[in-house]
Amino acid sequence: MQRCKDCGHVQWPPVPDACERCELAVLEWERLSGTGQIVSWCTFERSYYPDLPVPWDTILVELEEGPLFISNPDGFTNEEVRINMPVRVTFVDCEDETGRFRLPAFEPVGPTGPKNQKGAQDETASTA
Amino acid sequence: MIGSIAPSVALRGIGSIVGVGETDYGEDYAAWRAGGPDYVGPSVEEFAERSFSRALEDCGLERDDVDGLISTLDYGAVGVETIAKALSVQPRFSDSAGSMAGIVANAVTALAGGRADTVAVLYASRSRGSGRQFGGDTYVGADRSSYYYYHPWGWSAQAAHWALMFRYYQETYGATEADLGSVAVELRQHALRNPNAIMQKPLSIDEYLASRYIVRPLHLFDLCIPNDGSVCLILRRTDEANDLRHIPVAVAGWADVEVTESKMHHMVKERLRTQLQAAGRGALEMAGVSLADVQHFEGYDASTIHLINQIEGYGFVEPGQGLAFCQDGQMDVGGRLPTNISGGLLSEAYMHGWNHLAEAARQLRHEAGDRQILDVTTTLFSLTTTESSHPLVLRRADA
Repeated sequence: MQRCKDCGHVQWPPVPDACERCELAVLEWERLSGTGQIVSWCTFERSYYPDLPVPWDTILVELEEGPLFISNPDGFTNEEVRINMPVRVTFVDCEDETGRFRLPAFEPVGPTGPKNQKGAQDETASTA
Repeated sequence: MIGSIAPSVALRGIGSIVGVGETDYGEDYAAWRAGGPDYVGPSVEEFAERSFSRALEDCGLERDDVDGLISTLDYGAVGVETIAKALSVQPRFSDSAGSMAGIVANAVTALAGGRADTVAVLYASRSRGSGRQFGGDTYVGADRSSYYYYHPWGWSAQAAHWALMFRYYQETYGATEADLGSVAVELRQHALRNPNAIMQKPLSIDEYLASRYIVRPLHLFDLCIPNDGSVCLILRRTDEANDLRHIPVAVAGWADVEVTESKMHHMVKERLRTQLQAAGRGALEMAGVSLADVQHFEGYDASTIHLINQIEGYGFVEPGQGLAFCQDGQMDVGGRLPTNISGGLLSEAYMHGWNHLAEAARQLRHEAGDRQILDVTTTLFSLTTTESSHPLVLRRADA
């Protein structure tokens, strides 16, 4: 994403030339860590696209570098989301009428992923 | 932050609302529902003529007295010149606007500057009739709607903005869906005292919870009802408003604040508090009143959670306390902050905030019948979008 060299703000969605915060045109593309936390989520149950059957999940990820990123969960569903759940970007191969592209989605990160969380709770309950 | 945060005190109370006209929201909606797939319904011009002639009747002025016209037409819009012709007026001052923001200020400023003596502000909408959908791959006029950026992830609906806000609110404050439902139930109660409202049946929490999810966690009844209709307000300089049919309702203050960076942060995590605080302070300062002086709130309730965002953001209650405030009856007549007394966008009609101003005028005139707020003199009206806040302070001319 574009980071402003003057104030440090990272822009998302991308901007044409000027920093959306300080308005200076000193942006530089930076490779990000790809990690963040889920801060909100919602599930579409009313269809707004005729070809896409409901339901589908969307998430809002707060990237480590600051921006909030709208995306979809990959390998898990909104049922399993917890606030501040750590995630990492993964790229899904897609194709539409303009050609092929890679869509950023997010997968759970490591031992604090949803399945392990649930397992840990079950263990605690059984030893109580 | 950009916008007009501390507008000129010199314009305080200079202009007043003297005439109000509305179309028959409930009747027209029922006709549409009963009319079947070939139902056409009134045109924008027909709706406009209805509200305009009612507004003239309301203040006792003639068509020829109107020398200023601001039109704001959604979905099925025609230009201000077309509307002027349709209404048989020849304004020397005219303007058109897509959004409500700044329109009343524009009318007052034109009156203050002598560009017109009687300004009609005319809102009309045919969102139903033009088949507008509030999500997906849609266009508003020639522009793609703002949902466009997130199409690749299927995140594209007005409802989805509110849904993300409420989910974050739930996680932060522990609110349940039933807690949020209390707002829908409350506004439905208000609509039942308004024969012109679309919704005429009470809503229970159980019905609210049983209603389908649109964008989960939001249910059907968390979202406003698109409908077709029109509202006309007629404004004059306050010192030329005293011999008409009602006490003038003075436009005491306004402010407009927009945040242009980190939209998602300000929307979901701050719930627009930054904009609401700055704009609220500005409008109250211009009006020369404090938040404690506000006895009536008319807020843009595109969704239940968005109404609560505004009540909390302006500082009527602390963040996280808004739902308890509602459940405690504080948003009803007799409560600390009577809110959206004619039913709002959620239960009266989706006139994009103009029906709220019509109710504000009625209340401040003390002509709201069995839903009258006792001795009300000061109303805060709030248009708030997903990135900006545009409050107006209205006061009885004798306050």
